[in-house]
Amino acid sequence: MEGMDKLKPEIARLIAAKEQRRCKLAALSFPEKVRIVVQLQRMVAPVLRARGRPVRVWRLAEFTTDEHG
Amino acid sequence: MEKTLQVLTELEHDGLLVRYAIGGAMGATFYVEPVLTFDLDVFVILPQTAGGLLTLAPIYDALRARGYTEEGECVNIEGVPVQFLPAHNALLEEALAEARETSYGATATRVLRAEHLAAIAVQTGRDKDRERVRLLLGHAPLDGEYLRAVLARHNLEARWKEWTS
Repeated sequence: MEGMDKLKPEIARLIAAKEQRRCKLAALSFPEKVRIVVQLQRMVAPVLRARGRPVRVWRLAEFTTDEHG
Repeated sequence: MEKTLQVLTELEHDGLLVRYAIGGAMGATFYVEPVLTFDLDVFVILPQTAGGLLTLAPIYDALRARGYTEEGECVNIEGVPVQFLPAHNALLEEALAEARETSYGATATRVLRAEHLAAIAVQTGRDKDRERVRLLLGHAPLDGEYLRAVLARHNLEARWKEWTS
């Protein structure tokens, strides 16, 4: 039980940090959020394609060519 | 994305659609943390046709004439697969009428209100819609009174209670 008591504050801190990050992300501007969505697409697309789902990562003019990878 | 939105605005100016607003996952992303999606859901009010039919054909024709191609249920507009979803019921018509005016860069656009996104998710009723409701409840600036009125008007209170209790 003593171990659990030590663990609880640490878990609570992690959950609070996660919540704080969600709030921070929610407060970003729309274009910044779209940029993150495209980053997520790049990360997930290979997995989905390997499973047979044809997905296309957005190619946005407001991003530089280098960012499209 | 900005160019995509410019094309949508041009379609509106040309009278090919009466009004558009962003919905779906990207609409939710406007209010909460970024949500993974591969298409841009755009709700549209279509012009009345002589026979009263709701058809996306004129929009698709206009986009094809501009060199944009169809990809499954979407049209790729400036690198973004856009899915046009006609407002086919009272909730969607209301959501479009009351959509929030905003801007993306220098381009004016519209996003459905968070309360309508939540109500539409409840009405649609899939697992991912339930997750969307959870996200919106957690982080979107929902106007409780407004949301309750929307849910009541469209007979969605029971499922809302079931999903959120």
